[in-house]
Amino acid sequence: MQSASAIALVGNPNVGKSVLFHRLTGAYVNVSNYPGTTVEVARAPARFDAAVDLVDTPGVLTLPARSDDERATMRALLYEPLQAVIQVGDAKNLRRTLTLTALLAELGIPAVLALNMHDEASARGVTVDAQALTEALGIPVVPTVATGGEGIAQLTRSLADARTLQPLLHYDGTTESALAEMAARIAELAPHPRLTARGLAILFLGQDSEVEAWLKQATGDVYTELASARDAAHAQGVTPAALAHERGEAAGTLATRVTKRTAQASPLLAHRVGQWIIHRVWAWPILLGVLFAVYEFVGVFGAGTLVGLMENDLFGNVLNPLVTQFVQKYISVPWLADLLVGQYGLWTMGMTYALALILPIVTTFFIAFGLLEDSGYFARLSVLANRLFKLIGLNGRAVLPMVLGLGCVTMATLTTRILHSPRERLITIFLMALAIPCSAQLGVVLGLLGGISFSALLIWVVSMVAVLMLAGFLAAKLIPGRRIPLVTEMPPIRLPLMGNVAKKTVGRLKWYLIEVIPLFLLGTLIMFLLDRFGALPAIIRAGEPLVSGWLGLPPEASAAFVMGFLRRDFGATGLFAMSHQLSPIQAVVGMVTITLFVPCIASVMMIIKEQGMKVTAAMLALIIPFAFLIGGILNHLLRAVWGAGA
Amino acid sequence: MSPADHIARVPLSFLLPGVQARVEDIDEAVSPTQREQLVAYGLAPNRPLVVLQQRPMTIVMIDEVELALECSVARHVWVKRR
Repeated sequence: MQSASAIALVGNPNVGKSVLFHRLTGAYVNVSNYPGTTVEVARAPARFDAAVDLVDTPGVLTLPARSDDERATMRALLYEPLQAVIQVGDAKNLRRTLTLTALLAELGIPAVLALNMHDEASARGVTVDAQALTEALGIPVVPTVATGGEGIAQLTRSLADARTLQPLLHYDGTTESALAEMAARIAELAPHPRLTARGLAILFLGQDSEVEAWLKQATGDVYTELASARDAAHAQGVTPAALAHERGEAAGTLATRVTKRTAQASPLLAHRVGQWIIHRVWAWPILLGVLFAVYEFVGVFGAGTLVGLMENDLFGNVLNPLVTQFVQKYISVPWLADLLVGQYGLWTMGMTYALALILPIVTTFFIAFGLLEDSGYFARLSVLANRLFKLIGLNGRAVLPMVLGLGCVTMATLTTRILHSPRERLITIFLMALAIPCSAQLGVVLGLLGGISFSALLIWVVSMVAVLMLAGFLAAKLIPGRRIPLVTEMPPIRLPLMGNVAKKTVGRLKWYLIEVIPLFLLGTLIMFLLDRFGALPAIIRAGEPLVSGWLGLPPEASAAFVMGFLRRDFGATGLFAMSHQLSPIQAVVGMVTITLFVPCIASVMMIIKEQGMKVTAAMLALIIPFAFLIGGILNHLLRAVWGAGA
Repeated sequence: MSPADHIARVPLSFLLPGVQARVEDIDEAVSPTQREQLVAYGLAPNRPLVVLQQRPMTIVMIDEVELALECSVARHVWVKRR
């Protein structure tokens, strides 16, 4: 239930708001070392006062809001019953912090400033005089290191002293009179319960779409008067850029006054590592090294050793015989026993697939992923991938959701909100639904094809990249709109904190298991019913021309595609289970087709949420035939090269 | 007029790694939204920067911020060497 009073954490991207949120509430939200991890507002009761909700907002680079996450933050400022905000700022980047402070000051919300990561600032020779800043802003300024819990108690205490910020600047004469005029109109037509009319006037003149929507709703027909006054102000030179420039200048002046910089004798090791990662020569061996390490950890250790231990030793030799014995002893109804421990048994198929085959793979994947995420590597990957992504009408930023998609496409679909245009989001979501396998599926692919030969795995990888590039190239040509060039900040390289990686992995596994187990059980039940009522042989016969004729797979593989409708990895696991019947070519063709096949139900739901029913239906109508088309072409190509017997 | 004033404005993408410069202007070829973003990142007129590398993208350091820009943007950011 939402509290009557709230405190919002507001700040630039990647300054540690979510870590602070965790410290102040005990609730864990995903935390990573790249901008844009938080895409939705999170809320939890504060530890220091259960009657107050703490609201974690997505990072804002600029206000007035321009991107989806900035709009989400603006909505929190407009609609949440805020008693105060905690502005979280990066101590080593005070100018940007204070540019936001300058705007919050105009909005008149009581505030405190948490000057976070001051340890990183000190390591770079940057010291901020917090006392001088407190005097200049008129609010408590508390140096914090949220990851280590430093300064948190003081920050909590300082909330009692939260007060309205002193204004950081006065705009020039023309701007001030335009602002005063607009503020007077807003105060008269649509007074806001918490925000000042002057602050709203600045945002409205700055063309903030959320403030615009709020004013439209609050003023009704007279909104046109406000809009004409805004046009007149713009014509006088009171433009969004001019307003932002003045705020930036004022923030810069104050930042320079309270910051002391000591020249560093040599660059930090973290800084040098950061540069090697995107070096035009060293970047590539480093990338190969990272991929190799991930392959060894997830593909060899997770999908090989751990799956072996779980599937054969634990489930095959211990659990499954025990459960089967138990069921056969106590359940006398044959069909019920069969439903639990038969060929399509809820335990022997559903739970065994989910826990013995998938769980070890996703666990190792999420650990590797969390380590890379927190190190700052992924943000640099966007620089390396930019040129390649240019070919498919995107920029390197899209690499983040795509790499996240290798973990879980459902989660990654939500993360596309960090992309700046609807066109980029549409292309990225389509490509992820088509050609990005999730970790579970990836593990099954590695397990099956890696077991055959390296070339089999390579053919699968090349096919996926080729399909991704071809589909992306065509999508970029067909979907109207301009590509946005990449401009991005590189977060510092950091040693990942094991505690955070562990928490993230547990959180993701929880999400994953909640999503995967019911669907695996439902899938098994459907398979059981189809088999029981004799429909499975009929489906296998009906699918034969396509599955056997066109794809060259054994007729029983139709069952895997039926399973694939629920989850691609469930289908892939079905193929994995019949791997002894497959030739190398059949294994490759089967895996390529099932990887391209429909994404899982959960990600379809997420696509509907993000893009609407029509777009989702169009995507699926394209993806399903396309998967079979590519699979068939690959089958005929491979047979032409290696002969039908391979 | 000091000799420094005679130094011509050059696009950011022309500078070699290690060169220090000061931002002069971002021209109209960059979209207004992206210009706002650049200014928010700290690439604002009169601000000092150091070029770290030019390949695969232009990377500059402004105070403690490392910023990567595609060449198509960096060539419209005008700077003066320091």
